Amino acid sequence: MASRPTVSIATAEGKPSGASHPLPSVFAAPIRSDIVQQVHAGMAKNKRQPYAVSEKAGEQTSAESWGTGRAVARIPRVSGGGTHRAGQAAFGNMCRSGRMFAPTKVWRKWHQKINLNQKRFATASALAASSVPALLFARGHRVAKVPEVPLVIESKAFGTTFTKTKAAIALLQAVGAGEDLVKVQKSKKMRAGKGKLRNRRYRQRRGPLVVYNPETDGKELVKAFRNVPGVETSSVFSLNLLQLAPGGHLGRFVVWTSSAFEALDQVYGTTTTPSALKKDFLLPSNSVSNADLTRLINSSEIQSVLRAPKGDARTKRTNVQKKNPLRNKQVMLRLNPYAAAYSKQKLGQQKVEGGKPTRAAAAFEQVLKEE
Amino acid sequence: MAAERTNVSNDLIWLITRNQNSYLVRRNAGGGSQFSRDPLNLVNKHSFKYAGYANTKAVGIQGAENGDITVTTKKPSNPQQPGKNQVTVNYGPKTATRKLYKGVANKTAQNGYRADLREEAVARVSALRRSQQPKKDAPAQKPRGAKARQAAEKDSE
Repeated sequence: MASRPTVSIATAEGKPSGASHPLPSVFAAPIRSDIVQQVHAGMAKNKRQPYAVSEKAGEQTSAESWGTGRAVARIPRVSGGGTHRAGQAAFGNMCRSGRMFAPTKVWRKWHQKINLNQKRFATASALAASSVPALLFARGHRVAKVPEVPLVIESKAFGTTFTKTKAAIALLQAVGAGEDLVKVQKSKKMRAGKGKLRNRRYRQRRGPLVVYNPETDGKELVKAFRNVPGVETSSVFSLNLLQLAPGGHLGRFVVWTSSAFEALDQVYGTTTTPSALKKDFLLPSNSVSNADLTRLINSSEIQSVLRAPKGDARTKRTNVQKKNPLRNKQVMLRLNPYAAAYSKQKLGQQKVEGGKPTRAAAAFEQVLKEE
Repeated sequence: MAAERTNVSNDLIWLITRNQNSYLVRRNAGGGSQFSRDPLNLVNKHSFKYAGYANTKAVGIQGAENGDITVTTKKPSNPQQPGKNQVTVNYGPKTATRKLYKGVANKTAQNGYRADLREEAVARVSALRRSQQPKKDAPAQKPRGAKARQAAEKDSE
C-alpha cells in the first residue's frame, strides 16, 4: 500500500472538523466471515449456565419387571396394590411418568475453548467489516445519512461533562445515527416463548456501538449512552466479537471517538509490527492483494496469458429441435437449394409431358414372348 | 469498491451477504423464492446483478402516492461516505412517460454506468406509472333475466 487512506474526524455536530487520521491497519485485515462465524458460535456458548433435570426424576418407584409368562411387556412395573399406579409400567422413556431418554446432566460440555489467535483474527476481521458501508446496510443498520464510515467523532465532544443521555442522543442524531436509533425503538417486540419469564421479556435490534478510549475519554460517556435503546459502549482495549459481529453477522455500525480510533494501531499493530498490547500478535495478511475479481480477470497480467477462444465467433448449435423440411421452407432451402427454383417454376404442379405412352409394336410383343 | 480498500470488493460483499442480509426475503412458496427489499434493486430479486448495496453502481426507482417517481443512483467515487453517496432525481406526475423513460434509460446506460440495467429500469418506471393511474370503476351490472329487466324498467319509470 503506497499511501494509507485517511478518515476525516467529525465534530459533535456531524461536520468535518478538518482533522483526519490515517486508517488504522486493522481495517485492512482480511474479512473472513467463516472465521467470525465459527469463533462467534464458540464465544456465544461461554456465558451459558448449566441446567439438567433432577437425577431422581422418573426413577422414584421400586418397579420390577414381571418377567415373561404374564402376557404383558417385560418393562418394569410398579409393585403393590390398592392404587392405580400399581402394575403400571415405569422407568422407561416411553412410559408415562418414566424418566426422559438420556437425562440431561450438569456436566455437559457447556463452554468452548477457542484458540486465542483465532479470536484475535475474528475481532480484526469484524473490525475491518465494520468499515464497509455495504456490510452495514446488509446487517440492517440505517446509515444512509452517516457522513463517513468508519465514523470518527472528535474526543473533545465527550470529555468528563458528557454524562447526560439527552446529550448522547443529540450527538448520535447529529452525526447521522438517528435513523438507527429509531429502527431500534420500533423493533422492540415481545419475545416468543418462555424467555419472557426468564428476564428476557423483549427483543430488539442492535444500534450503534460506541467505542471509546477510557484513558483519555474517561468513562462518563458509558453512563450517558447506557439508557439509549440498542446503543452499546465498549473500550477500545477490550473489544468483544459478540458486539462487533452480533449473531456472527459482519458489519456492526461502530461510532469511534477520535482517541479510540488513534489507539487502534497501538492495540492491533500492523501486519509487520507486532501489537503493543497483545502478546505475539501480528495482524493477519490478505492472501490476495486485490479482492476485486472483475479487476483481476480484466487485468493485463491475466489477459496476456489467456489462450484465445477456440472456434469461431459463431458456433454450430447442437442438440436443437429437428425441423421438418417439408413444412419449414427455410430448412428445406438449406437442405435443397434447388427447391426455390422448383417451386417458383411450379414444376410440382406441371403435367407429365407427352401424354400417355404409346403401345409398342406387335412385333415387339412377339419377340418378347417367343420361346 | 474504492481503490483505497484492497481487502474489500463487490464480489466479496456479495459472497458474505448472499446467504443472509437485511434485505433478503425468503419464502417456501414457489419452490423457495428469494426476493430483496433493497430500495436500489430494480426487480426486487435477490441476485448480485440487482443487489444495490453490493454494487458500487446501482439504480433504484421508487414511486410515490402523488405520482412522483424518484430515481436514485449511487456515486462510484465515494463508497465510504453513505451520506453523500446517492444522487436522486425526481420526476413529477406531469412528466410525459416517454420523456421519463428516456431520462431513466440515459441515466442508467450512458457514460458507462450500468447499461445492463437499462431494460429493467425502464420496465420499472412503466410498471410504477401504470400503478399510479386512477383505477376505473367497474361498470354497473346489467339486469339478468326477464324478471330483473322488468323490475329495472319499473324503477326507471
